[in-house]
Amino acid sequence: MIRGIYAVVVLDLKRFWLDRARLATGLLQPLLYLFVLGAGIGSSSRLGGGNYQQFIFAGVVGLSMLFTATFAAISIVFDRQIGFFKAVLVAPVPRAAIAIGKIVAGAVQAAAQGAIVLPFAPLAGVPLGVGEVIALLGAMMLASLTFSAIGVAFASQFKSVTVFPVVSNAVLLPMFFLSGALYPLQSAPLWIQVAAHFDPVAYAVDLMRGALTGQFFFLPWGLSLVVLALVITALAGVSIRVFNRGEDDSALGASKFSWHRR
Amino acid sequence: MPAVEVIGVVKRYDRVEALRGIDLTVNAGEKFALLGPNGAGKTTLFSILATLRTPTEGVARVLGRDVVAERDAVRRSLGIVFQEPAIEQRLSGRDNLLLMGLFYGLGTAAAKQRAAEILGQLGLTEAADRPARTLSGGQRRKLELARALVTNPGILFLDEATLGLDVDARRGFWAQVGTLAASGRTVFFTTHYMEEAEVADRIALIDRGRIVALDTPRALKARIGGGVIRLKTDDDAQARMWLADHALNAEAGTGEIMLVHSDPAAALPEILRHLPVRVQRVEIHEPSLEDVFLKLTGRGFGGDAAVPANGAGPRGPGAGGGA
Repeated sequence: MIRGIYAVVVLDLKRFWLDRARLATGLLQPLLYLFVLGAGIGSSSRLGGGNYQQFIFAGVVGLSMLFTATFAAISIVFDRQIGFFKAVLVAPVPRAAIAIGKIVAGAVQAAAQGAIVLPFAPLAGVPLGVGEVIALLGAMMLASLTFSAIGVAFASQFKSVTVFPVVSNAVLLPMFFLSGALYPLQSAPLWIQVAAHFDPVAYAVDLMRGALTGQFFFLPWGLSLVVLALVITALAGVSIRVFNRGEDDSALGASKFSWHRR
Repeated sequence: MPAVEVIGVVKRYDRVEALRGIDLTVNAGEKFALLGPNGAGKTTLFSILATLRTPTEGVARVLGRDVVAERDAVRRSLGIVFQEPAIEQRLSGRDNLLLMGLFYGLGTAAAKQRAAEILGQLGLTEAADRPARTLSGGQRRKLELARALVTNPGILFLDEATLGLDVDARRGFWAQVGTLAASGRTVFFTTHYMEEAEVADRIALIDRGRIVALDTPRALKARIGGGVIRLKTDDDAQARMWLADHALNAEAGTGEIMLVHSDPAAALPEILRHLPVRVQRVEIHEPSLEDVFLKLTGRGFGGDAAVPANGAGPRGPGAGGGA
């Protein structure tokens, strides 16, 4: 099991490394949010320019991680159709190990993408001390696992990549917007505050921001840890179930693809 | 202990019965071919033995282990080459093998060593560090074989492994497989190419979910009961009548005339001397596996083999196409 997870992670990180240029292009989006949107909105908001950038910093890092994790998860859909995974499916590796490996590998990629935004923190007016960084990295670890589990749980349902942009717009964007990444939930309309309670991204972003500012929306913050742990476990369970379903039809879960012609 | 044992295996998809009761035994160390047209059930049977599908009924064992109940043990003992590529094209051959080793539970150091070993064994060392997609078709197929060998399996499963390769690359591939078989491995393969099936010790002909014959290539061809004569004349209709009058039964059909004879080389001069119409072309050939398939099933093979359309469907032997 552990060796299977390890093998999946090594495979995905080797593939990720081939695309390492994406790390740099992936930096563009958070920087645009931070220094264009942040500066523009900040100067006209009650929070004030510097304060607004400071406020959204954690949210923007979270956004970057959320989309990286989802993008990484898309590889599952490709894996079903072509290539190396055919051979993996006949290796003595439990399907559960494949699901967990995919989640871990996606989380590593998301965390890496998030981490390269951190050096820009001082420019956004976010002072980073050693304590803040350690707390933030811890929160990012949990957040990236959450986002990756979300991505894998979705990707495991799909046979084709064409529907994926639809999903990311219909699911990821609402989750991001409701998370309070770009505005304080405290002063948001009540319905948003209520909805945020059902949004795992909100808990993840809140933990990351809290790690930097010491101020949390969800209190006590320990409860956020529990919520995220539960979300990760539940979503991993969903993915494992879907992957296991494929055990008898030579596929990885939902799809019926690949080399078998009847 | 037989390498593969299949007893009464039935596989039903929603409404389709892909396998209708398969029984076969592959002996250890044997080269065994599964030959049949598309849709015959080859790939389904292959998938069941490869633990990718479960049989609806019946039992299948690989090296004495049940493919359902002892799936992981079976997986550990198998090396499989699929019809489609199953290597990560963007990674190097060495990385592919290393990863496969990890998936089979080897430690990193052991997996690296094993990868280097196999690459050397298959003559791929030079190409090992380039992305797989930059290799030639033949090299990539060899890499697939290398991947299947990572676990040093006692049995090798090949599913149409040379599809799309040119003749040279195919020959190279089979030479490699021959070497592996010579070292005592069992090789179980499916194929479309007749000449590939001929290298097998035994062949199972499969059609519509059933094994229609299982024997050595020589014994299968002996079932035809002679050689095949093909004639093209100025007036085939008259030639057919003449042949019928002389107790030589040509197969029904248009175009060429085909007939089976126990001793075609001796019969042909007599036919040519006495046939009342001019002969344009004549050919004698040994019965091919395809002729055997036609005789047993009444249907052609499709795919790569050229089978003359034979509307009425041949009833007797020898209606087959070229070898």
